[in-house]
Amino acid sequence: MQNEIVLAVDGLGKTYPNGTEAVKGVSFDLRRGEIHAIVGENGAGKSTVMKMLYGLEQPTTGRIAVAGQQVRLTTPQDAIDLHIGLVHQHMMLLESLSVAENIALGAEPVRGPFLDRAKMNREVAEVAATYGMNIDPAATVARLAVGQKQRIEILKVLYKGARILLLDEPTAVLTPQETRDLFKAIRGLTELGMTVVFITHKLVEVKEVADRVTVMRDGQVTGRVEPRDVTVAKIAEMMVGRPLSHKPAERRSPDLPASVTARDLTLIGLDGRVRLNRVSFDIRPGEILGVAGVEGNGQAALGQVLTGLLEPAEGAARIGGTVFTGRGVAAARALGIAAIPEDRIHDGIVTDMSIEENFVAAEYRNPRFSRRGIRDRNAVNAATREMIAAFGVKTTSEQTPIGALSGGNMQKVVLGREFTTQPRFLIAAQPTRGVDIGAAEGLRQQLVDLRDAGTAVLLISADLEETIALSDRIIVLFKGQIVAHFRAEEADENVLGLYMLGAERKAGANGCIDQQPEHAHV
Amino acid sequence: MSSIAGGQGSVLQEVIKTLVVIVIGLLIGMVIVLFISEEPTKVFDAILTGPLPSASTLDDGTVRWRGMTRFGTFLEDSITLALVGLAVAIPFRAQQFSLGADGQMFLGALASAVVSIYLPLPGIVLIPLAFLAAVIAGFAWGWLPGVMKARAGANEIVTTLMLNVIAIQFFIYCVTFLMLDRQAGFIVTPFFQDAAILNPLIHRTNVTWMIAVAPLVCLLAYLFLSRTNMGYELRVVGQNPAFGRRMGMPVDRTVALSMALGGAAAGMAGFHIANAILKRLPSDFPAGLGFEGIVVALLARNDPRLILPAALFYGYLRAGAQVMERTTDVSREMVLVVQAIIILLIVSENLLPRLGQWIGLGRSAR
Repeated sequence: MQNEIVLAVDGLGKTYPNGTEAVKGVSFDLRRGEIHAIVGENGAGKSTVMKMLYGLEQPTTGRIAVAGQQVRLTTPQDAIDLHIGLVHQHMMLLESLSVAENIALGAEPVRGPFLDRAKMNREVAEVAATYGMNIDPAATVARLAVGQKQRIEILKVLYKGARILLLDEPTAVLTPQETRDLFKAIRGLTELGMTVVFITHKLVEVKEVADRVTVMRDGQVTGRVEPRDVTVAKIAEMMVGRPLSHKPAERRSPDLPASVTARDLTLIGLDGRVRLNRVSFDIRPGEILGVAGVEGNGQAALGQVLTGLLEPAEGAARIGGTVFTGRGVAAARALGIAAIPEDRIHDGIVTDMSIEENFVAAEYRNPRFSRRGIRDRNAVNAATREMIAAFGVKTTSEQTPIGALSGGNMQKVVLGREFTTQPRFLIAAQPTRGVDIGAAEGLRQQLVDLRDAGTAVLLISADLEETIALSDRIIVLFKGQIVAHFRAEEADENVLGLYMLGAERKAGANGCIDQQPEHAHV
Repeated sequence: MSSIAGGQGSVLQEVIKTLVVIVIGLLIGMVIVLFISEEPTKVFDAILTGPLPSASTLDDGTVRWRGMTRFGTFLEDSITLALVGLAVAIPFRAQQFSLGADGQMFLGALASAVVSIYLPLPGIVLIPLAFLAAVIAGFAWGWLPGVMKARAGANEIVTTLMLNVIAIQFFIYCVTFLMLDRQAGFIVTPFFQDAAILNPLIHRTNVTWMIAVAPLVCLLAYLFLSRTNMGYELRVVGQNPAFGRRMGMPVDRTVALSMALGGAAAGMAGFHIANAILKRLPSDFPAGLGFEGIVVALLARNDPRLILPAALFYGYLRAGAQVMERTTDVSREMVLVVQAIIILLIVSENLLPRLGQWIGLGRSAR
């Protein structure tokens, strides 16, 4: 039973019309009741394989067999008919509808022309109970936590009869506690005979939960292992193609007075909701203050206030004694504030413009790059070349549109731009999101180097491991408020998680240096 | 969308795509002509060579050029089209869909007329002054919706269309009541002072030194966009305003400025029509020309370097259409069909990548 092969791919290849070979000769099989992890860097071809298994893309070579029968999957409906379901990385839920409505969407029970709401709720409750997922079918989706929403995504697929579940980076947005719950749930599914495939690049999770691992690099399978036989470092090496250094950043506690002091920052949203509630913290020169929190708890608002995009309703932040909040972006930048925006594509670059024109955006008025409003394109070009060399941006030319680069290389340009301004204070939001591990390692080193040069850094990251590894101190935001303050070497993912979810809170916590950071004992 | 800094490759690619589209449009037009016309070869000849003058040698050996007026009309029309094309293209680079070229052009002509009729000055002062008046009027009438957009978020498509109506009615009011020439017998202003009228460079045409101004303005627009900080801001804001804001750029001012600069170009078009072509302003001043700027900007992919060729092509097509209508059994609406096909093909962005791939210039889509 355990070894029954439910799905096998053999020599699967995908070449796009433009000649890009996304997947080359991939073979693996899935057994009934196993959790099978597919790991690899961005662009390794994992998602393309998933898309081919779900009928969203057609392979150019190779075969797919389901339960021993060779099949052709030309549409997702073909896959669904064969009991294959895909849970997308990004939640695709209708927020204002109920849980049951979301799950049954597209296959909802009807009576005549009308929706049979009672039957729908009953069916959804039954499915949820069968798979051990406790959820109220009548609840409105918008009110649920991220982990529960993901549960709905999975139920959506199960409701349509899936027996083989493909999960695309399911843990990317979850807290450690939610991740653990998810793993418990999918373990439950496999015990019922389902097969779960999940894509990830968090290798610790793979070790923790997967029965078998297929490692991909450059469109090919570079490793097939059982995680209990190998170390995380070994899997990482198969993924990246070279050994990775895994030493955490050396911490320093500069005994200097704070250069950045924020006091009582308060922001009220347009809808009247309090987005930041009396947030106070200090950062010393050469120090990284990490901000942990579940997304949507005020991190974005904090970044926007500190960069000058939004004016705080109350409070202010100073650098070297001068207020830089509430005076606009240009004024803040003139005082040495730089920022790496969370949403790189939307806020960090102009995709259709060249690397050069993206690079100069923060400093085009600087006499180095323009005189009396006339741009010195040679100077821009020379500085861009320097930056490309210093940050190791992989490109054929500085004239290449930045949109043609990979995520990691785009981010290098963003970092290069902000670092070149020699900031006194850098707000780094999700600096390595969506970046290959290899490139992320380089970006983190750049951040640490900048810190060592004396810049105060606020690191906002959804990746707790990263926050703990890089920060000197960590504050936790919950509903726009600082609920805890730790020294990073004393912080622990599980403890942070409790504060992030609001299960624990320290009254009156702030991130000031006169306040002794909490020890990580609960 | 083409970007000036997008490298030579992408501009060339856009040009080739556009040329392919034009050829397809013309071919479809010709097929239609084959069905509806008794004399298709004559129709093709009229469209393709109609606007050109023809030379004939007389018995005494002198060369006589015929059709110079027609040729002149083609060039004059192309100058107007280039300027209104810029009036659409510049705001579009900042992602503003300004439809206000018409109104800006009317006010530019009106401002120029006031100077040209009433200020008793010598030509060397008068003409630059009239030109400046037209540019300022257009600039102001473009700046207004720009500020309304930047400050109050008023949709520029709506405001520019409404401001067109105001400008045109104001124009008619001025011509009908304030500036009327009672001797004329129809509603028109007096002739401009001789000193204000531009001298033709080619006999029997109204082709004046504006034929040098139009390319020069296109060149200046190109240099402005690529070489100045303001032009850089304009392109960045046009492509990604959120990014511009995060870089500390004056996004609101840039939006207003883009509209105002477009208005200035339209004002020049007004000056050209008033002082080079009409030499007095009738109340039935040709409305709707401003909208032809959209076609030109579309053909040029909003690249100032391509505005002139686009205007010449479109001017040629329009002039050819007139010749065709006068000399054959096909009406000028035929050309509108061709124009519509070209526009549809250009706007169908989904189709064009494939077209690009098909002609071997496809950018690798990942």
